[in-house]
Amino acid sequence: MMMVQDGCIQLLCLTASSGVPLFTRGASKQLPFSVIGSLNGVHMFGGGQGVLLSSCETEGGGKVVWRVFHDSVMLIAVSGGGSSGACSREEEIRLQRLLENVWHCMVLVLGQDELVNLRNVERLKRDLRSCFCLIDQLLEEKQQGVLGNLTHCADSLLPPNPTLLQEAVDGFAQAADSEFGCLFVHGKIAAATEKWWRLAPQEVVLLSALVRTLSASGSASCDYPVFLPQGSPTVAHRLLRFQLLPGADVCVLCGPTPSLHRAESELVGQLWSPLVETLRSCLSVGERSLPGSVPLRPDVLALLLINRETRRSVSCVQLSSYHLLSDHSLSKSRCWELLKLFYIFSMSRYFTHEETLCVSAEDGAQGGHTEDFLHGFSHQPQQCYLVTEECKSYGLQTPRHQLFLLMLPSVPTLALRTVATQTLSDITSATAF
Amino acid sequence: MLWYYNTMASVSPGLCSKNTLSRAQRAKEDGDSESTSSSFSSSDYNDDLEPEWLDDIQKNGELFYLELSEGEEEAALAQVTANHCLSTNHVRFSEKEAEVITEQTNTQRRSSRKKGEPTLKKLARILGRKRRPSQRKGSKDGSRGKSNSLPPASILKNQPGQRQGMTVHQRRLKEACVYLNPKRLASPPAPLRDRGGLLEALLGVVHRPAWTAGQKDQWEVRTEGRLTVHGLIPNSPAIKCGQILIGDVLLAVDDVDVTSENIERVLSCIPGPTQVKLTLETADLDHRGGPRDSSTVHKMKASPPVSQLVRLLWGEDTAELQMAIGHIPHIVMYLSLKLDSTSLQEEEEILYQYPMSEASSQLKGVRGIFLTLCDMLENVTGGQIISSSLLLGKHLVHVGYWKEHNNLLVVGLPAERVPLLSLQTVVGDVVRTLKVMYGSLDSAFCMADHAPRLDHFFCLFFQQLIQPWRLREGSPPSPVVSGSLFLDGLPAVRWLTLPPEIKMEVDTVLSDFESSDFGEMSEDFFGLRRLYVILGSCLFYKSYLIANHLPKEDLLDVCLYCQHFCLLPLASEQRLGQLVIWREVFPQQRASGGGSAAPGFTQPKGRHFLLIVGLRHLMQCVLLEAGGCASPALASPGPDCVYVDQVKATLLQLEVLEAGMEERLNVPSAPCLSCADWFLPAATTRDRLDSLASSSPVFSRLAGAIRGSPSGSRGRSLFGERSRKSSPQRSLSDSGSEVQMDAGSAAPGLSPISTPDSARRHGGRRDSLGSGGSDGSGGSGGLFKMPRMKHPNPFYLGTLKKTLTERETEEMYNTIKLSSGTENTLFHYVLMETVQGIFIAPTHREVAQLSGSIHPQLIRNFNHCCLSIRAAFQQSLPARNRRAADRPQRSCWGLGPVKEHGVLFQCKPENWTDQRKPAPTMTYWVIGRMLLEPVPQEFYVCFHDSVPEVPVEMAFRLSFGLAF
Repeated sequence: MMMVQDGCIQLLCLTASSGVPLFTRGASKQLPFSVIGSLNGVHMFGGGQGVLLSSCETEGGGKVVWRVFHDSVMLIAVSGGGSSGACSREEEIRLQRLLENVWHCMVLVLGQDELVNLRNVERLKRDLRSCFCLIDQLLEEKQQGVLGNLTHCADSLLPPNPTLLQEAVDGFAQAADSEFGCLFVHGKIAAATEKWWRLAPQEVVLLSALVRTLSASGSASCDYPVFLPQGSPTVAHRLLRFQLLPGADVCVLCGPTPSLHRAESELVGQLWSPLVETLRSCLSVGERSLPGSVPLRPDVLALLLINRETRRSVSCVQLSSYHLLSDHSLSKSRCWELLKLFYIFSMSRYFTHEETLCVSAEDGAQGGHTEDFLHGFSHQPQQCYLVTEECKSYGLQTPRHQLFLLMLPSVPTLALRTVATQTLSDITSATAF
Repeated sequence: MLWYYNTMASVSPGLCSKNTLSRAQRAKEDGDSESTSSSFSSSDYNDDLEPEWLDDIQKNGELFYLELSEGEEEAALAQVTANHCLSTNHVRFSEKEAEVITEQTNTQRRSSRKKGEPTLKKLARILGRKRRPSQRKGSKDGSRGKSNSLPPASILKNQPGQRQGMTVHQRRLKEACVYLNPKRLASPPAPLRDRGGLLEALLGVVHRPAWTAGQKDQWEVRTEGRLTVHGLIPNSPAIKCGQILIGDVLLAVDDVDVTSENIERVLSCIPGPTQVKLTLETADLDHRGGPRDSSTVHKMKASPPVSQLVRLLWGEDTAELQMAIGHIPHIVMYLSLKLDSTSLQEEEEILYQYPMSEASSQLKGVRGIFLTLCDMLENVTGGQIISSSLLLGKHLVHVGYWKEHNNLLVVGLPAERVPLLSLQTVVGDVVRTLKVMYGSLDSAFCMADHAPRLDHFFCLFFQQLIQPWRLREGSPPSPVVSGSLFLDGLPAVRWLTLPPEIKMEVDTVLSDFESSDFGEMSEDFFGLRRLYVILGSCLFYKSYLIANHLPKEDLLDVCLYCQHFCLLPLASEQRLGQLVIWREVFPQQRASGGGSAAPGFTQPKGRHFLLIVGLRHLMQCVLLEAGGCASPALASPGPDCVYVDQVKATLLQLEVLEAGMEERLNVPSAPCLSCADWFLPAATTRDRLDSLASSSPVFSRLAGAIRGSPSGSRGRSLFGERSRKSSPQRSLSDSGSEVQMDAGSAAPGLSPISTPDSARRHGGRRDSLGSGGSDGSGGSGGLFKMPRMKHPNPFYLGTLKKTLTERETEEMYNTIKLSSGTENTLFHYVLMETVQGIFIAPTHREVAQLSGSIHPQLIRNFNHCCLSIRAAFQQSLPARNRRAADRPQRSCWGLGPVKEHGVLFQCKPENWTDQRKPAPTMTYWVIGRMLLEPVPQEFYVCFHDSVPEVPVEMAFRLSFGLAF
């Protein structure tokens, strides 16, 4: 008898001071109140004794992670382990990331003030409902090809003709009286203004997630108030989103003007209609995220490339007929899963995270220790590979990039390094990523 | 514990006859056991009366007797004398320890008192031998000992001893400061009090008024009421201070004159822990130690101080060590999950706890968390809790759990010492060790009288994990303990391959022993069933396993025990005078009913005993079974002299082979290693190259010789060239600037000699494997036809050009390459054979020879990385070959079974001061590979990046084709 099914994650949110449950999310049946109370109770008890409980692991990969944000909101993630895949060490990083994302997501929607000064719990409970669809998206991780929640790097799509789109986005943002404009294609960023990239990476990732949920709702345009967790956690901005084509959205962050109606009627048509063909070619890049001009070796199953300076990432899974011919044919979702797992595996053991962009200093202490293993190395890990039954994985880190590759098991182990370095140079030289 | 050196040379196999007494007989004669023991010992040993460990046997039959060899032990004494002021300041933790040891030894003393004569003789010898150095110490230290000055008048006034004016014994007065703590008297059973009184219990001085009558020294007979020191209690303040000697007379305590009449009263007035000054009268025995005096002193100075480890094993000094880590949170608790809410008693759920430091009390305070989580999470996630992470201030603490029945073992360790990856292994190993020692956790923790021994156990446990450098002499404090974490965590024992002829002899000797054919052990000798069946034994030489006749699981059990008590490093670092360990053990495989029982076969339900005997650098562990075929064991039998002597005899027999083993250690092992520093251009590389260049004719000659004789059986080549072994070869290329290179001398020329040696060996092996169809080796010379010459590494390019012409460079390059063999870029390796439970790695000596500044870092890094690699292997293969006590596991590794995993590292020299140029870098791989076929094996190798890929494959195949 277990209350959290294998592979499911339960998210509990309570007030930190009094332990009043604010909400619970998750696919499996809701945990009984007594369990929620105990989970909160042990953490509170420890806090009183100067001991901060941060995580817990059970056989079979089950995991519980606690985190308090701004002394006001406690988030607990309970994972049932099992088929969710990762071993619990990796799982912990995933859950830590999830909690951070959920908190930022709550700030994004409600603003920090309302969350920190808990004046009216009942009202807060009601208000929090507006975050649910965003939180559920974070929990389910259904959307393939989106790794930003994990990497905290904006998922990007490299369009075949970037300059045209860049100019269009810049122009549109300017016309809308804003410095923050961004074009999403298939939920990934195809082009954005310089200021947009200056937002904290986490904010960019969250805004992308928000735009994806908004566009999934099917409306052609919307005007949504957002707080920026890092930039302006207390003052709301307006996020204007317009659907240009199915799968292509443009949005701007702006102040009181212009109105949604004016922007939609005057600016969108005027500025974007000449670019429909460009957008279509961009859409056709599709899930590959890389323009067709960039050659990928056929034995590469999946790749994730991170630019450590701009905090952008490109990822793709390529399953061609060539792959289907081989004995071990992996499904697309399995490839994404493996890529994620390998990313977490490498990052938790060998490679360094740039950003420790945490909510605040004291909260950072809670989450910043997952890399304890990393500090044990006397020399710097540069590359690593893993040979498993399903595939061969290779990770490498340069001062500018991190590359994670999945390759067919038929690739000789000796060739992995060559393939990886070649792939990296191919992509960077072709796209200047 | 008496520092007493027994010259074992007098014991030889077969000598120890007639002393066998079956346990039944023993029991009968229990009443006058002293007579039997003294009688048989006197018949056995020329110069000895009884085994010196006899006094250390504890009530439950267990024995842990450790005695260093003469040189070490003198140093120990000196050290104790010198340190006593330091060490006596902290008694907090030693309290418990000493308490019980005192208790135990007191009980022994009760029995040993009856055999007063032999004990006294022994003590007299110690007196004769020991007093010189320690007195010398005293006289040097003017503040403490006024031994040479005239005694204070106040005491002199009524000194009858002074008047005697002995001709032989020149009486002197001296003072000693001891630290006394009356509080630790709280618990010894009442009977002890009236035996030795406070003098014995508090101070640790044994005074037997009755003995005086029997003494030959007349001056003692005449002095009724004088407090002559007849003995010292181990671990007591008296023995720790090192200045109180047997035969001394206690005159005053804090300047208050004492006699046997008032001593108890005086001592009882000491209110609390305090330091008191003792005035003693001592005999000056110049004539006795005379001839050997100078040599003794010399030896004392030369030999290194006794390590903390030995002192810890002796049960001393735990306080100081424990204090040093008091601020680091760590704890072990055994908690009861059955909470009785009606009971008002506080903390009753804590069945055991250690230590009592401040940081650990914080962890103890939150035990409610552990209990609640353990109780609750099983229902939530469907699995037992394994670990949790807590933040105590700045310290991250990982807590490992182990649930047994209704109790919960909680082990908290600082994250910077034990990463979460290895926590489970560490906890699993400690649980298994406890189970081996006590049968189950419940029986270990729930017996009140186990507590002091558990304290000692966990003190060792934490010391090894948190500050291992304190235990080993000479190793610098390093923040990472990955090395021991990785190697100790392997379900295997470090193995040393011996040349076949030595191996065969060792095996024969062991088999002879195990056949139990020695006269009195055979069943018809007394017409009684034998006491024990020898299940098997294993032999260690300087911490390497050299022979094993135990099943794997038993071997691992034994090895865990040895590891925990640091017996292996002990035997390699110091010459053991004698080590005798005896205890009942509960081998895990046998306890669980044995894995593959054939139909109709059931494991005999017997009790098992572990006997470990160490002499010099050899250590043999024997697993004995009582019951089953042998007679059942009653109560808790102590070690049987016959078996101990037989093991000793075996070891003495094996000592003849020691030279061969030592030689094997000196010869670099099969895959030749290089030092990481050689690949980094540093200040000294130029020196090295110059020296190499100057001696290059030697190289080419050697290289030619090698080319000429590429084949040869492995055994021959291993030891065929004994004359050529030269240990310090490779150290000359130390990166440190202290290397004084004399290009003209023979020393630089030595450097590559080992390499051709091994290259040759390698060639031989390649031949044998090549015929077996190894696909990697293209032609006969394929290995040596350096494909690597196309990949010159930075080392050669950087500095060579400056000093040498191109042609010379080329020539030298070739020479080096030719002589070095494929594995020239191999830095380190570990190969584990899972089936036999052994692993091989470069010997400590080999690594020490490669000493550079980067290389030790590299090895640390290698070990740390291997932790991660092995964790990946383990996680992908749940519940296979796990040494840790079994814990059901569900597969939870999303990436699927891992076959191979490698990490590329980059290192830079430390303190690179040159601002203009970027620091040179060196990259190297650490790769682990797991094979399931044909035999399960795990390889871990570390080599330079410049190796072309094919040789890497070959390195895997060839360098590990070592025969076990």
